[in-house]
Amino acid sequence: MRGQKGGQWGVLTLFLGIVVTVAVSTAAAPSPKRGGILNAMHREDPPSLSIHEEATISTNWPMMPCYNNLVLFNPLFGQETVSTIVGELAEKWTWQDGGKALAFTLRQGVKWHDGRPFTSRDVKYTFDMVRGVPELASHLRLNPRKGWYANIQSIDAPDPFTVIFRLTQPQPSLLLMLASGYSPIYPAHIDAAELRSRCVGTGPFRLKEYRRGELIEMERNPDYFIRDRPYLDGIRFIIIRERGTRIAALQAGQLDVTMPQEGSKTAAEQLKRAVPSLVVVEAAHNVNDNILVNFKQPPFTDARVRRAVSMAIDRQGFVQAVRQGGAVVGASMQPRPWGNWGLPNDQLAQLPGFGDPTRQRAEARQLLAEAGFGPGKSIRVTVSTRAIALFVDLATYVIDQLKQVGIEGTLEQVDSAQWYAKLTRGDYALAGNLTGIGVDDPDANFYENYVCGSPRNYSQYCNPEIDRMIAQQSQTLDPVQRRRLVYEIQKRLEIDGARPILGWSVDSYVMWPYVKNLVPHESIYSYARFQEVWLNR
Amino acid sequence: MWPFVARRLTLAALTLVGMSLVIFVLLRLAPGSIVDLIFQSAGYVDPAAKQRIAHELQIDRPVAIQYLLWVRDLAHGDLGISYRYGLPAWQIIRGRIPTTVELATLAMLVAVLIGVPTGILSATHQDTAVDYGLRVFSLAGLSMPAFWLGMVILLFLVREFHWIPSMTYISPYVDLRAHLVQFSFPALAVGYRSAALISRMTRSSMLEVLREDYVRTARAKGLPRRIVVNRHALRNALLPVVTVIGTEFAFLIGGLVVTETVFNLPGVARYLVEAITWRDYPIVQNLVMFIAIVVVCSNLAVDLLYARLDPRVRYE
Repeated sequence: MRGQKGGQWGVLTLFLGIVVTVAVSTAAAPSPKRGGILNAMHREDPPSLSIHEEATISTNWPMMPCYNNLVLFNPLFGQETVSTIVGELAEKWTWQDGGKALAFTLRQGVKWHDGRPFTSRDVKYTFDMVRGVPELASHLRLNPRKGWYANIQSIDAPDPFTVIFRLTQPQPSLLLMLASGYSPIYPAHIDAAELRSRCVGTGPFRLKEYRRGELIEMERNPDYFIRDRPYLDGIRFIIIRERGTRIAALQAGQLDVTMPQEGSKTAAEQLKRAVPSLVVVEAAHNVNDNILVNFKQPPFTDARVRRAVSMAIDRQGFVQAVRQGGAVVGASMQPRPWGNWGLPNDQLAQLPGFGDPTRQRAEARQLLAEAGFGPGKSIRVTVSTRAIALFVDLATYVIDQLKQVGIEGTLEQVDSAQWYAKLTRGDYALAGNLTGIGVDDPDANFYENYVCGSPRNYSQYCNPEIDRMIAQQSQTLDPVQRRRLVYEIQKRLEIDGARPILGWSVDSYVMWPYVKNLVPHESIYSYARFQEVWLNR
Repeated sequence: MWPFVARRLTLAALTLVGMSLVIFVLLRLAPGSIVDLIFQSAGYVDPAAKQRIAHELQIDRPVAIQYLLWVRDLAHGDLGISYRYGLPAWQIIRGRIPTTVELATLAMLVAVLIGVPTGILSATHQDTAVDYGLRVFSLAGLSMPAFWLGMVILLFLVREFHWIPSMTYISPYVDLRAHLVQFSFPALAVGYRSAALISRMTRSSMLEVLREDYVRTARAKGLPRRIVVNRHALRNALLPVVTVIGTEFAFLIGGLVVTETVFNLPGVARYLVEAITWRDYPIVQNLVMFIAIVVVCSNLAVDLLYARLDPRVRYE
């Protein structure tokens, strides 16, 4: 009885606490202000301005403000899940036909930046082009995400404001992919090639000026379909090639915010020491450090050798020594709390490479001995990596770790221009690599990096049983059951040494305190709409 | 004089033809092409798409044909289309040339204004505290790479004044003062090294001349020290200094690449490095040709100036 009463008081105290906190925060939170120009960091010219043709944040970051999606991950929440998806050009959406059709009702009265009306024809055109429908007049020069939409059978536009995506199999992840910053709607009346050098969207900002190598300037779209948005009058993406200069510009107040993937923990700590008022937000961006083990190259054709490689690497040591604490250990899906599908720690600890390093190394030596390698006959291997500091640090650490189990590695630095071509040809034995994933969903990751024959499955890992499990999880509508399957797949991938994951980057995003409502997401590609951002100067 | 000028002009023209060949061949020896890089940013490779893009950009044609087409277009004033931006190369390069030329000129101005007086001062005060101090100053200048000095200047400014020059280009027609402030720090960073070199050259050349008989005679005649130094010694001592200034102007481009990058100035030098990274052949070929023309012309100017300053040169 006494305990029950105590519980009631506890609940009451908690309730009052929440009421007071909400009241105080509401009173303290200033209301958004209109106006001002945001100066945002940018590191290079985008390869092109066409989001659908690129796979780099250098394009998404400055061009997302120009476009809209059907749906988008809520800009004000860091996590990206089905429950944080909000409508943009779609007012509402429903799954039909047992999960085999996704119908969208579109907003009316939306205009492209050139004044033409937006209709369902634009949606159909965009995704027919992305999924590579041959009859279409316009094609993408590069189409890095064609695979995302491979399950779409057809796209119907029965009237100007209704679009229905019809699928071969149910695929709950489709909505998440459509909510990615990689899925803007393009205007059907403009050739896709033109959008490489200009922008005609429906988004909150219009492209005002692009001075190559200097500046990408956006201005407020006065005809934006959401009243009173955006708050900003404009955004200037100032292109600064030199990293030290970018940091100095941020510190001097010439930049208001950094850009995704730019904030290492040590740099953020230094900035914070120099300017204590700067705000540092930690955010994982769905990018992992991994080793590619070529399944077709001896001695890595032997499963024992592959597993020995994975077990030789101390993951915690990697996080501390190479990424200075700016990463977390995880398997093939982004770990919690940053991601939604990461293996729980107790399950992770059971996997090869994630246990006690000393014991793991002993097991690795044992496995190598069983495979016929040892002190008298050591493995000599070239460890290839991209000639960029972030990659070289990783590969150097891998070489050091392999040496401790008797594998002699030699570093090979490969020019960026050759890197993916070399990986795709399978012209390597071991490689240190980084992989960024567009959406925190198993479909986006597994289909791209692990299924047999995928162009980005660089290690040439192929397990039909895993492929079957991947297809099964993709079609599973029950979230609990799907999660169970995804955990199982992750375990199997680590046991098979498909692509040993060393760590997941956690960036430190730096901005001045007067920048409001800019919330870094768990994926770098989806939070640059800037519609809600305002300046409290 | 005219045969000398004609000989020098012919040599300059031949050098440019040779340069065009070297540029063209070297560029194609570098591994990878724009097509590889386009796919590198997309993170995958599609052989059919690669072939299609290579065909669109005409880089699948034989190298000799590509060279002839480039020379033909160049002769017609057509610099081609940038592979990366799909815009006329001239449109991209045009706006950047004044920035680099201005920065190079300002840097040389800084170099001459610091280098020549300090060299004279050092020579006329040989083995005194002033001389030692200036020699340390010039040695330091030669030891510090321009990019390092630029970065130190930037970090010093941000640390001490919470201010750095504008990171976006300010046109002199919009705000001349801000424009000059923006250019003064990079000019200082680049010019310091050249100033050090000019100072050392002026010092040694002056010391040599000051020991000549005619200088001793001038002193013996009772001419004021100022006249002896400025009129009798300096004019003769300047010949090797002019040569150094000429060659430094050519070498300056190397310093400008990093300085433009550090101070984020939209010049030709920085852009050249980016274009090389992207294997944007039309931009690289034409920019390097532009630099080659600048170097050849500055050497030509030095030769002609030399001939003007020293009449013996033109008869050799």
